[in-house]
Amino acid sequence: MGEVKAKKTSDIKNTPDDEIPGVITTTTSAIHNFLKKSKAQDVINWGRKNSLWFMTQPMGCCGVEMIATGCAHYDTDRFGIIPRNSPRHADVMIISGYVTKKYLPALKRLWEQMPAPKWVLCMGDCSISGGPFYESYSTVQNIDEMFPIDVFIPGCPPRPEALIQGFVELQEKIKAKKDLGTEY
Amino acid sequence: MDARTIIESLSSEFPEAISESEVESEIRVRAYVAAEKAKETCQYLKDSLQFDHLCSVCGVDYPKRGEIEVVYHIASYEHPVVLMLKAKLPRDSPEIESVVPVYWNANWYERETYELYGLMFKNHPDLRPLVLPEEMLGEWPLRKDYEGFPNKTARNLV
Repeated sequence: MGEVKAKKTSDIKNTPDDEIPGVITTTTSAIHNFLKKSKAQDVINWGRKNSLWFMTQPMGCCGVEMIATGCAHYDTDRFGIIPRNSPRHADVMIISGYVTKKYLPALKRLWEQMPAPKWVLCMGDCSISGGPFYESYSTVQNIDEMFPIDVFIPGCPPRPEALIQGFVELQEKIKAKKDLGTEY
Repeated sequence: MDARTIIESLSSEFPEAISESEVESEIRVRAYVAAEKAKETCQYLKDSLQFDHLCSVCGVDYPKRGEIEVVYHIASYEHPVVLMLKAKLPRDSPEIESVVPVYWNANWYERETYELYGLMFKNHPDLRPLVLPEEMLGEWPLRKDYEGFPNKTARNLV
């Protein structure tokens, strides 16, 4: 994402033939790159961190806790965290279980269907290290090599409060411009 | 119909194929069957002895003996006897006739046994992997000499 943008801006600088005298031409990515260096990015990040919609995609028993977090009792709306049923609506993907070799292509496809900016949370011991299934013939090891995971939430399964704390940590990372979902 | 009459009926119908038959208790019997007669035996069990419920099909690997056993657990809705029917197959080319024409629910059992042990079920209507990905076909992960287990855990833990 960031490389493409950098390329486009450098193209504009290197090819003065395209420039019309008296008119400043620009592109959307050039504007984005300009905004990332300015104070406006703080305002944009403030908006992004307060609307972390996550995808309801339970993969194991942690998925039950994930659904419970999205229910009314914990009231995650106050953080702007809302469960969504479509990857097209979502900002956050929660890997909430062991990833089998058969499920990995589907998970990658869901990740590609989500519009940027997007973030990943690792929920539970299974997704962090394989959990009790780390020696299985059918699970994938080192899931953090395939997805830019921002927050690891340990637990088996973590309570909904722990998941909410993970979301808050992600909000802090976005606020501090340290998240892996966006390139600054 | 009790366990002893079932074994006697089975042994008299297939005297060459049935071996090592044994009555474990009033409700459990077991027998070995020759691999080429497995389907005929299942047909006879279903038609004449009211064994109309196939509980499971699975495999057992015996690398020292060079054999793979396929195990059928067959029960009945009419009487309480559960029959464990086993067939010995050579380990380098395990092949047995499919029992799907007799018990339709053997379809997925045989597909899973095929992907985990490499047991070929001849004349199976749709023999492809059930839960494993296609690229793992040929590894046969539940055989005793399988060595594809990952020996590392995630880097974050250490």
